[in-house]
This record gives sequence, C-alpha cells and structure tokens, in this order.
Amino acid sequence: MNIDEVKASLLERVAASDNPREILRASELKQLYAQIPALPAEQRGAFGRQINELKQLLESAITDQENAVLDMTVESLDVTAPFDINDARPTLLPTENGTIHPLSREITNVIDIFTRMGFEAIESREIDDDFHMFTSLNFPPGHPARDGYDTFRTEEGFIPPAHTSTMQNRILRAGKDRLENGGQIAAISYGRVFRNEDVDATHEHTFHQCEGVFVSATASLSQMLGTLQAFFETYYGQKLKTKTQPGYFPFTEPSLEFAIEKPASLGGSGKEWLEMLGCGMIHPNVLRAADIDPTKYRGFAWGGGLERLVMLKYGIEDLRHFESGKLQFLRKF
Amino acid sequence: MIVSVNWLKKYVTIDRSIDELAELIGARLVEIEKVIDLGAKYKDVIIAKVIEAAPVPDSDHLNLCKIDDGGAWKDVERDENGLVQVVCGAPNVRVGLLVAWLPPSTVVPETYGSSEPFVLDARKLRGFMSNGMIASARELDLWDEHDGILEIDREAKPGDSFAELYELNDYLLDIENKSLTHRPDCFGLIGLAREIAAIQGEAFTSPDWFTVLQPTLPKIAELKQPKVTIVDPAICARYQGLLLADVDSSVRSDLLTSSYLARSGMRPISAAVDITNWLMLVTGQPLHAFDYDKLLQVSGTEAPEIVVRVGRNSETMMLLDGRDIELTPEDIVITAGDTAQKPVALAGAMGGSETEIDSTTRNIFLESATFNLYNLRGTQFRHGIFSEAITRFTKGQPAALTAPVLAMAADMFGSQTGARIASDIVEVYPGKIEPVNFSLTNQQIVEVLGKDYGVSAQATLEHLEYSDVTVANDTIKATAPWWRTDLHINEDLIEDIGRVNGYDSITPTLPVRDFTAVRPSQFDTFRDELRSRLARAGGNELLTYSFVPASLIEKTGGDAAVAYRITNALSPDLQHYRLSVLPSLLEKATANFRAGYDSFLLFEFGKTHAKGFMDENEPEVPAETHVLAAVLVAKHPPRDNASAFYQMKQIAQFITGRDDLAFAEIGSDDVNKELSMAEPKRAAVLETTGSTGKKHRVAMLGELKRSVRQSFKLPEYTAVLELNLDTLFATRTMMNTYESLSKYPSVERDITLVVAADLPYEKIVDTLRAGLAEVDLIGGFEPVSIYQGDDQSIKNVSFRLTFAARDRTLNGDEIAAVVDTVADRAIANLNAKII
Repeated sequence: MNIDEVKASLLERVAASDNPREILRASELKQLYAQIPALPAEQRGAFGRQINELKQLLESAITDQENAVLDMTVESLDVTAPFDINDARPTLLPTENGTIHPLSREITNVIDIFTRMGFEAIESREIDDDFHMFTSLNFPPGHPARDGYDTFRTEEGFIPPAHTSTMQNRILRAGKDRLENGGQIAAISYGRVFRNEDVDATHEHTFHQCEGVFVSATASLSQMLGTLQAFFETYYGQKLKTKTQPGYFPFTEPSLEFAIEKPASLGGSGKEWLEMLGCGMIHPNVLRAADIDPTKYRGFAWGGGLERLVMLKYGIEDLRHFESGKLQFLRKF
Repeated sequence: MIVSVNWLKKYVTIDRSIDELAELIGARLVEIEKVIDLGAKYKDVIIAKVIEAAPVPDSDHLNLCKIDDGGAWKDVERDENGLVQVVCGAPNVRVGLLVAWLPPSTVVPETYGSSEPFVLDARKLRGFMSNGMIASARELDLWDEHDGILEIDREAKPGDSFAELYELNDYLLDIENKSLTHRPDCFGLIGLAREIAAIQGEAFTSPDWFTVLQPTLPKIAELKQPKVTIVDPAICARYQGLLLADVDSSVRSDLLTSSYLARSGMRPISAAVDITNWLMLVTGQPLHAFDYDKLLQVSGTEAPEIVVRVGRNSETMMLLDGRDIELTPEDIVITAGDTAQKPVALAGAMGGSETEIDSTTRNIFLESATFNLYNLRGTQFRHGIFSEAITRFTKGQPAALTAPVLAMAADMFGSQTGARIASDIVEVYPGKIEPVNFSLTNQQIVEVLGKDYGVSAQATLEHLEYSDVTVANDTIKATAPWWRTDLHINEDLIEDIGRVNGYDSITPTLPVRDFTAVRPSQFDTFRDELRSRLARAGGNELLTYSFVPASLIEKTGGDAAVAYRITNALSPDLQHYRLSVLPSLLEKATANFRAGYDSFLLFEFGKTHAKGFMDENEPEVPAETHVLAAVLVAKHPPRDNASAFYQMKQIAQFITGRDDLAFAEIGSDDVNKELSMAEPKRAAVLETTGSTGKKHRVAMLGELKRSVRQSFKLPEYTAVLELNLDTLFATRTMMNTYESLSKYPSVERDITLVVAADLPYEKIVDTLRAGLAEVDLIGGFEPVSIYQGDDQSIKNVSFRLTFAARDRTLNGDEIAAVVDTVADRAIANLNAKII
C-alpha cells in the first residue's frame, strides 16, 4: 500500500467530512501499520516515521476541518444594526478602568511645553534610510561612531532609527525657507527608536526619544543651555541647577552631555545629578546636507530618552514594564 | 581606559584633590566613570629584610624565616632581636633579600575589595609560628605571577612603606572611551596631561623627545635592511621600521615600570615587550616587534621584503594567540617576501605566530606605522580583537607620531636590553598631511558660544600647544598641533576654547522669538482626543514592540513575506515589521486573560509597514500607516444574547464620534489579508464616502475566526478593531452638525415595525430618515428594541421618534400625521407591518 495514495485519499475524505476526527480510525492507517513487521529491518524505522508524519498531517487537517465545520454553524450578524436581536444597546466599559499609557501621557506633556516655547512637534519615523539616520548627520559610511548606535537593518538596507535625529535633515529642509526669510527653525521630533541591545531592567531594544532642533542667524551655545534649562524647570516646576560635560557626537560641534540636579519633586536634595541628554551646536556639515549656509546660520540640537523621565517621575523600577502590556502595570496610571 | 594619576603627574603638576581633579576632567574633557583608590589596597604592606632563612624540617619547600621590618608593625610577636618569624614557601627566599611583607590582621591585596577579603593572622605551619606572609606579585595584585616572592629592586630600608616605594599611593581614573572617539591624542598620557594642564589654566610643554625623529644612539651594527612597499596609500599613511641587533630578551623591566604597566592594564612580560607597551600608553602609538631572523626566513630573500597590502579571499594566517584566521580584502596585512607575500602580521591588530618574538630572540625589526582606521574597525569586529593597540589605532593615530615614538623606542631598547641599532629608519610615507591653519575673529567665538573669553582664548590655544598663535585686530590665527587629527574647521577650535574654559561658565540665555503661536499638529491633537475617548470608554492603552515573529503574522492570516525583515534581529521573535498591530494586542490579551482579568479593552496607537508601499512624499523610504488597534475581551458576556461585535461597534462610534461611517459586510471575495483573521459573518469594514463619491475604508471591526480565537485561547466574547488613522483623519468632517434648539416642546412617539428577519437594519433607518425629511421638523429617532419571538421569519423593530416644530407647538393631528408619514413609507418600502 502506497503512503502517498493513502495520504491523498484520507485528506480528501477529511475535507468532505462533517465529523473528520473519525478518519483517524480509518482502516488504511491500520493497514499501513500492519505492513511494518513485514518490511526489511532497515526500512522499518523510515516507514514508521512516514506513517507518523502522515498522522500529524491528518491531525492538523482535521482540526482545520473541524473549525471549518463549526464556522459553518456561526450565526450571521446584521452588521448595520446597533445591537443583537432580543438584546439591549451595549454600554461602554467602566470609565474608572480606563487608562492612558504613562509614556503617551509624558510625550503629550513634553510636546505641550515645547510647543508653548515655540517648537513645532514632529513624530519620528519607525523605518528610515541610511542617509537620514547617518550620512546627513555627518557620519560618513564606515565612521567609527556608527558602531555606538548598534543599529538593526532590514534586508533592503532600511534602518529602524536608533535616534530621533533621523528627522533632523527633514526638519532643516522644511524650515529652510522660513529661516531664509528672517525666521527661525524650531522643532522637536519624538518617537520610537531601536538599538540592538539585550533587554534587562535598565536596557531595552525599543525605547522613546525626544530630539530638539533650533536654527537661526544668531543661535549660540548659551541659548541652548538656556532653552534646556527652561524646559526642565517648567517640567519639574522649580528652579534647577544644570551642568555639562564634553561629549562627542559627529553631528554636533561642540558636543555636550547635559545634566540637571535631582529635583525636589523626585526627592533630590541638590547634590545628585541626573544625566538627561546629549546636545551641541549643529555641525556645519549637517546644515550643509540640508542646503543651509553654515556661514550665515547656526543651530543647536539635543536628544534624550523619554523613558528615563517617566521612570523618575513615577518611580518605575523596571524598563521592561513599558512594553509588557500587563494590565497590572497599565491600570496604575 | 584606566589611567594612573601618579603617572600623569610625571608630565603635569596636579595639586588639587582627586575629587576636584575628577570633577574638573569630567566637566572639561571626558566623563570619569570611576575613581579607584589604589593606595588603600597597599597601606599596610611593609618592606622587610630577610635576616634568616632555613628549611623547615620534614618539608620539601618551606623555609623558616626571620625578617626585619624595622619595628614598623606594632601588633606582632618578635624574638629577642626584634625579628618577626614567617614561614615562606617561595623558592627564591634568601638571606639579605628585601621583600614585601603583609603583617597579621591585614588584608591580602589580591582579595582587597572582594566579597571575601582574606585577612592574615599569626598561625602555626608545621609547628612553627608564621606571622602574616611574604608576598608574590599575584598576592600583591600587581600582575599574575606566583613563581616566587616579589624581590624589591629599589633602594629601601626595612619598615619603609611598599606603596610609597613603588608610587602605589595612586588613584586610577576609569575614563569613558566613547566620547574620546575623535581624540587619538588623549589615548596617550602625554595627550591627557596636556589637556589637564590646559584646563588647570597652565602652559604645557611636550617632552623633548616628542620632537626628536631619530634615535640618539648611533647605528653600530649592520643587518640587511628591509625593503618596504605599501601597495595602496589609502590603507597605510606611513610605515616606518628599524632593526635592532643583539637584544637581550631575557631582561625584565624594573618593578616600578612593571607596576605602572600593570596598574594600567598591561601585563609586564619582558623589557623588550614592555618598552613597546610603555610607549603606547604614554603616546597612544602602538609598535610591533618582529623577530628579525624569523622574518628573514619567511621572506626567503636576502633582506626582508615587506609589503603592506590588503588580505586576499581564502588567504589564511596564524595569529600569535594560536588562532588560524581567514583574511578578507578589508583586512590589512604585513607580508614578507617579494613574490610570496606571506602574511606575518594582521596590521594594527595582532602579529603572526611565525615571526613572534620569544625569550631567544636576538634581532628585532621594530615597526611604527599607522593604518586606515576604517579597515581596522572591520578587522576588529571580524576577528574579535579588542586589544589596547587596536583600540588606539581605530581612533586614527596621526602619521607624524610614528617617528618620535620609534626613535625613543630604539634608545630604550639600547639602554634597557643592550640592543644595538642595526639599520637606518626605513620608511614609506605616502600620507603626509599639511598642518591645519586657523584664522577667525573673536567675534565668531562669541557668537557660537555666547560668551567672550577675552585673552583666555589665546592662552588656551597656547596651553594646548597650538603653534604660531597670534592675535591682531580681533583676528586669532593659530596652527593646529600635528597630533590633533580632530581639528579641521573653526568650530573645532571654538570647541577647545569653550570646553577647556568650562561650558558651565557660560550664562544661559533664551533665543528671541516672535509671538507666533505654535500648536501641536492637528494629527497629534486628533490622536490625543481618540486616546482620551478610549480611556473614557474604559480602555487601557498599552505599547508593544514594533517587531514580531513571522509565526505571529501567519497565525493571524498575514503574509510574512511582505513584512520588512530585520537581518540582525536579537531573536526570531523580533524579526519582522508589523503588517497589523492587532496580533501583538491579541498576544497581550491572552496574557492578561490568563492572568485573571475577565473583562478589558486594550488599545494601542502604532504604525504598520508593508513591502511595496513607499511614502507618497519621500518615495525612497517605506510608507508608514498610523493605526489604532483595539481588542475587547470578556469571559462572561454582559448579557445572555450580547455579541462582542456590537459592543466594539458601540465603542468605535463613541470614540470616532462620526455618523458618516457605514458598516459594510466583508465580502467573501475580499482578498485583503488584514481581514483574514476576522469571521466574515460577524465582522464589518467601516467605510466613509468622500465628496467625489469614492469609498474609503477606515477600519475593520468584528469577531475573530474561531480558529484564530482558539489559537490565542481567547473566550468567545472577543472582538477586535483596527482603524486606519490616516484615512480617518483625512476624511474627518469639519462641518458643524449643530442644529438650533426649538423654542417649542418636542414630542416623542414610539413606532414598532414588523419586518422580515433578514431585512438589514440600515434599510429601516434609511426609510425612517427619508420619512422624517418629508415633514419640515426638527427631530430624530433612536432604536428602542429589536425583538424576535417564536416566528423566526420576522422581527419587531421599535423606534422612538422625537420631533418638534420651529414655529409652533404641534397639535395632536399634526403629530399623528408625522407618525403616519413615517409608517406609510415603511409599509411601502419595507413591506413592514406597523403595530
């Protein structure tokens, strides 16, 4: 008896059956098993495996068919009706259970402050190209600083952005006309970023950043420090001391790391520093990449993680909670 | 990178406390991750002299020693001569030797700071009292050597502090390398010392030998001089080499040098190896020593023929760590032999085993070169080599640095190992770089930084050893030092001025702006409104990863082949971009359902991507679709007859606030994959009709196919919604739908229509609407009930009509006429009966 023939015939029967599970008891299967002892010893194992594979195939076909049979019995609904026959109008779920994710809430808050300060808010992309992620930001191909970003890549060479600076060239291009007509470019970009990092309580491969860009004929480092200080003082509702540390990013020159004293609302006593973001004066090459004349205009930019703000604010202990989808976590906000 | 403060002090005066120093460096150069107090580890180690040493009876290796610590340790048992008895097992212990003694009750430095520090005591060994121990290099945590006790090699007297003798009252700075990526000079102590001098506001002068390009020792031996060829100048800007004859490879460096190397993370090996490491730590320039005789043998020529070229495919070489590696055309190799060109070193990374120096090496070919950092970066990752040398090479050491370092090395080999210089410096230097000249006004500096540093600007440049610094008519001119490969544009010089003087001294100001109002984008506002409505509807917003496994896409009927695939995903679970956000939500619904939550609505705002759809405005990047996905789950339906579909519909209508959205059945011919998870008999698509009459699909809403629902182990009362936010946003109507209120009372009348059971509700609504439109009144209607009794062929649909006139109170006849008008239409159009 040929296994392939049995397979074809049994599958056909399954597809036509209202009660397909009984086909597992078909005599053909028993006969196949009965052939095993008659086979030469070296063929028995392989033949037995083939029968088992056939059985597994049947099992899955049977489950599909059972579902299909059940699906036939599914009652149709009138999708245009407001509720079911002999039922009442459905209600919403209890409002007191409803919650907004703490990160969304904080992003809205950050956007609110920056828009009041005069910065447009632009959502960052979740898939981008090498030009926006690196080249336009003065990271030539092969630049060592690219290593620090641990980027993912798709088969096509697209990049899940590792920083929201991936929007910087777009922001600069979009604001070029306004700038050249005597105005300024002021925008933030916010959204998800991705890094090839193993996950633990303080590391995630997926997190959120907020980036800021300001360009004008008179932008300066002191204005950058003032802008960042003003943001954090508004955010925490108190005067704050700030400090900086030299850093290195290819897209800014000079580059700095920016820290604030731990605010009183977070239990700070003025001695502890919180590193908040990286920042600096936009590198002339970055302006040039957006066709902005760096001899006439200057700018500053900054970028930092948002999870940290939220974790500090609520005292959240584990970064992994954010994307866990656990109601136990979500319903606390 | 670990840097010894005492070693720095050999090049720069540091008077401030370690905390002040660390803070200053942190604010003006680079982050210090940690400051390690090395001295604490050695505070109780005492120099002692061995006075007596005799074998312990019945022991094959132990010696009973009497040592003199000059009476320095108070709490220890002494003999009548004031000597302390210690049993020592080291083969090299002998009378007259100066040793490092660890007294009783002190911690063995090797275990200092560990979770189980080993505290010594006085105890009997083979019946003899032993007080503390005489220590080896390993026990002193200097380097891993335990063949014998450490022999003190500097002049000292018993009782002296070991830490002072070897300058171990030191602090180690753990420097964060990443922000010095562009500063190869700071990967050497001289470079760091120069920065520290400048940020302390002091002048700095590089050591004299930093500008000496030839050894001071004469050439007094003659070996066949190698011939060097660089195949491609792009891979090697400069290659220098020098022959050294009669090197004594058995010579060890003195302990002080060894301990400086060791505390900086380099194990001392022999003077020959240590010289190259010492120079690398001091200058940032790595050197490589080949065994000249082995090199000659591999070359197979009269004099070594050295060729610097890229690797060839399927070419292999054995590294000195014993690994056989396969080369690629991105690797740079040093080869020997004019025609054979056999690789003898993986340039910048590691030497080959064939030409390795060992304890018998007599003649050395010393290489001082610089290689293309981009090639070396690839080599580093391809072959997993993260040595101190390649870490420096990948920062782009300046080509000019190879000469003074090679010259100094030759002199050190001469004085420390007895080597004789046996050739001129051989050199190929295709990558010579002209010095960078700056000219800018003080005004430019002020504009960028927002602060006028006045004369400090000039001083800073001088302290950093810029040359030809002049200030005239507000214009500053200066030439960058040759070791600063990071200086190219005016902004780089401005950075030095701002950084070295402290950015924190800049007064923060705010940009001046006009009074134009800026609002969040309309889309953001629209999304926020939906979000808060969903929360009001009892929903819980969550976030899930943007990447999913192929299996999850397929489980819900999607085609993983059209999802963008990550080539270097962390795991197969995070390999594909999402075609729909719903599958991720279903997974989370399952987890929460299993965790005991019986009734919930989860929602997420996310993005979907699919191959073949590029962004309308930027065709070079994929289109991104904003979606809102939601899942409604209840273990027990709220009412016996309730379907999850209708509750989700209610939610969708509430959150969108749109009455133009029509719920249409999913046709059986609908091939859209994103709909394939839905049960077509209990799901709908939401459509809106644009001004041109074109229908736009806004959402999919409904219950899941049984197989899909069961695969997620979700209860029957489950419904999903996926809204395309971009379409919903684009088709939102800005029209005002408000109708003014009537001053006159409105009346309510109920009407029940008996219609065929399969008549869609929508048809009844259309009819009622048309009927009410006929009478010129303000009004509307609401469904009250849909009832079906025993007769399954019909259903009773009841409505409450509410209406009023604008100009009068309606009388009884008029009211009846309105109801009749509506009823007549229903009878005529729907074949309905009125009851």
